Amino acid sequence: MIKPAIVALAGSPNVGKSTVFNLLTGLSQHVGNWPGKTVEQKTGTLYRDGLIINLVDLPGTYSLTANSTEELIARDFLVREQPDLVVAVLNAASLQRNLYLVAEFVELGIPMILALNMIDVAQQEGIRINAQALSSALNVPVIPMSAAKNSGIRELIDAIVAELQHPRIKIQQTDHIETDSEIENIIKQIEALLTDELTNPYPKHWTVMKLLEGDQEINKLIRNRLPVEKQKNLDSLLENQETSAITIATLRSQWVQNMIMICQEKKSPGKASLTERFDRAATHPVSGIIILIAIMALVFSLVYNIGVPLQHLLNSYLVEAGRKLIYTSFTFMPILLQSFLADALLGGVGTVLTFIPILFLFFFAWGFLEDVGYTARVAFVADRFMHPLGLHGKSVLPLVLGFGCNVPAVTGTRIIDSPRARLLTILLTPLIPCTGRMAVVTFTAAAIFGTRATFVSLGIIIFSILIMLISGIVINRAVLRGEKAILIMELPLYHIPHFKLIALTSWQRTMGFIKRAGTVILVAAVIIWLLSHFPGDNIETSLLAQIGKGLEPIGRTMGLGWQMMVALLASFVAKENTIATLGVLLAGKDVGVYTALQDLLTPASALAFLVLQVLFIPCVATVSAIHQETQSWKWTGFSLVFQLILSFAVAFIVFKIASLFIQ
Amino acid sequence: MASERIEEYLEAIYRKQSTETPVSTSSIAEELKVSLPAVTDMLLKLEKRGLIEYTANKGAVLTEQGRKLATSTVRKHRLWERFLTDILGLQWDVVDNEACRLEHATSPVTEKALLSVLGDIDTCPHGHGIPDKNGNVKEEKAMPLWEISPGHKACIISVNDETPETLRQLQKSGLKPRTVVSIESKNSDNTISLKLADHLISLHKELASNLLARSLTAKELAEIPEEISMSHLSAGESGIVKSVGGGRGVLGRCLSLGFTPGSVVKMVENFGKGPVLVKIQDTEVALGRGVADRMTVVRSNIKY
Repeated sequence: MIKPAIVALAGSPNVGKSTVFNLLTGLSQHVGNWPGKTVEQKTGTLYRDGLIINLVDLPGTYSLTANSTEELIARDFLVREQPDLVVAVLNAASLQRNLYLVAEFVELGIPMILALNMIDVAQQEGIRINAQALSSALNVPVIPMSAAKNSGIRELIDAIVAELQHPRIKIQQTDHIETDSEIENIIKQIEALLTDELTNPYPKHWTVMKLLEGDQEINKLIRNRLPVEKQKNLDSLLENQETSAITIATLRSQWVQNMIMICQEKKSPGKASLTERFDRAATHPVSGIIILIAIMALVFSLVYNIGVPLQHLLNSYLVEAGRKLIYTSFTFMPILLQSFLADALLGGVGTVLTFIPILFLFFFAWGFLEDVGYTARVAFVADRFMHPLGLHGKSVLPLVLGFGCNVPAVTGTRIIDSPRARLLTILLTPLIPCTGRMAVVTFTAAAIFGTRATFVSLGIIIFSILIMLISGIVINRAVLRGEKAILIMELPLYHIPHFKLIALTSWQRTMGFIKRAGTVILVAAVIIWLLSHFPGDNIETSLLAQIGKGLEPIGRTMGLGWQMMVALLASFVAKENTIATLGVLLAGKDVGVYTALQDLLTPASALAFLVLQVLFIPCVATVSAIHQETQSWKWTGFSLVFQLILSFAVAFIVFKIASLFIQ
Repeated sequence: MASERIEEYLEAIYRKQSTETPVSTSSIAEELKVSLPAVTDMLLKLEKRGLIEYTANKGAVLTEQGRKLATSTVRKHRLWERFLTDILGLQWDVVDNEACRLEHATSPVTEKALLSVLGDIDTCPHGHGIPDKNGNVKEEKAMPLWEISPGHKACIISVNDETPETLRQLQKSGLKPRTVVSIESKNSDNTISLKLADHLISLHKELASNLLARSLTAKELAEIPEEISMSHLSAGESGIVKSVGGGRGVLGRCLSLGFTPGSVVKMVENFGKGPVLVKIQDTEVALGRGVADRMTVVRSNIKY
């Protein structure tokens, strides 16, 4: 058995690293989380020339100072796991920015290859890069390539194999960037204070640099290990830490500048690029908003015009037809088993799964906007509106994703760097009406409001967004502590989308949803089924009905009977289950669900029910996602209790006000 | 053809003439590190050749002919100094000695070649004017830095004492001709506090008296670029980053994105409210207003 080699893929955001990773690993990749962290980890395997190469995709980072969890993960992997090789993926069109990270790799003294990605984009921008010169200056292989055009990937693999088979002799770097600078003296003094043992597993010189750069993690580590009598010395040497951090960054930038002089030739920029011209409109406070709304309208109309009919098709041809088949042909089974298969499995989980086309389409459209580079503009345009909530523009992205499904939206909050802003976004996401809830809204509105149904549905969406904003302001002021979020975000160049990659990401997001459907949603569906069949095998006498009847006094205050309460509880499995449950509850009446609903609800109580349903506690899949992302039962509980109280309180007020106006 | 020795003497008298006329025998002896009788001997010879007027007990004054020869030597000396620092990259504390050896062996052809390599220059590295062909020197009016009162901004013109030790000390603190400093305070321990860019420098009186400087005029003061917060740049304006602030996390993030002091940024979009869009190192970066508020820049007309 050959020992697999470990190769890490590192780079900044917006360098096309995922595309390179996909080309290298194909479909062998595994998506999971970094241990103990809510950061996605992608791994994959490559077999070549008798080698087994385990590829690890490190989180995208601009530096190796632990400013964020991503940076912490990336550098801890590099230092602690000591990969056999690091492939640094660079964006050739903005080499200067990308070489900053390479400067850090050089300081760390790790074996590496530079993959000069997007070389075609660089050429279009009038940038010529001499890979050979860069290679000999750094003594590492430099491979020009374009992952989007599938060129240069063979050369990259060959270079990886060659480096693994015949590693270069590591040259001990003696000429540090700070040589002959004003800060050299301080660095030497701190170095004298530390020992290799003390800084293990980090290299001593590197540790000193990070101390001066204000790296929290390293500071904590060294302070815990350093003998007390030396602490004071360290404190006085780190007195001007902020100045030192700036000096070190400046020195590193000078190093980068030298490299650029060696290897890059750039024609003076000609006319404004396509990106620049489009961005003047797309990032403008007025036209930017108009463009944003237009694009979102396009996305939703696409999703609904294609996805909703598909969902209906799946529902009638798979779920409904399947249930009929079970009840008519599986008569050899006990009736309870038939009901379990038909109602719990097909009716519960099956209905949830019919939403997959809508979800996939939505994820695909969103993935397209992400890959093209538009979502960063969305964050920029929305930033000004998010400040009253203590959030910044990036929070808008998961919230928009929430219109598709709250589950990936909660997971998607990972792009937000401040923990406080991230938590707040997680708490607000379930207030975004997802496709499941919108299905209930459109269904109920159509039954009660007839021709004015569209108007009511739209009103409910806008209303719930308003409630979300108000909740945000309140939670931000009253509940959360800590630093306010700050927007620092690179706007990537627009580029031609890579459909394979978009499909893959959309598929991974959809699969995440299906996996949940197979686990938590299944369990919840079974529990609801049990509650509705026992005791007495009749929903009217079941525990569920009894709970519903127990809740009726509360429901009455807004004109809602026990059936509506039961339907509401069923939405815990999945929001769209409300309709299915109403179907079951009202099946006894021969008039059809529509008419039965009209008998049960007045316009005022229908409005109250819609508000209640939209703001009610998140579905079980979302709750499990909230727990996974916050890693805290306290905040998961907060989310549940908050929305429980909020939904009933707001629905009650809506009912009272509506009763005044509509008879 | 004047001998090397003669040129040395004339040069010494020329240098001393700015502070004392006539130049006494003893100060020439001190300057050239020779004995008094030797100086007297030489001065008599120079007078014979009509290069100086010499009065015993008083000293020497250059004649027109002597002045021409002296300035021609000084000119070569200072040109060489420039060449050694600017082209060969020698430190400014060693070039005086080197130039002393080279100046005497310099033919008009070499002098012309030096000029064409150096281009448009009018002072030596230490800030002294290079005499033109006719021996005329443009010397800027200056006074010892020590005598300029706190609160003023001053431009350093030249270094009076060119001993290597002094020059090395000055180099360390970044003080050289044409740099602008602001005088912060004069302290009781006979030092003067200066601000050069963002650094605070403390100089001893002795050193500060050896630096010649002049206060900036009102017009010049107005031209010094003002340091403003980055969020005050309007769209289309470029600036050079002066300082980066903000808590640890923010600072680190800004630095790793390239916002280091000295980097060039261009404001792409700034609507007075909300986030700004800044171009740095070929990419556009969105910054929350709070972040842009805490970085300072000076406006520049560098084409990005």
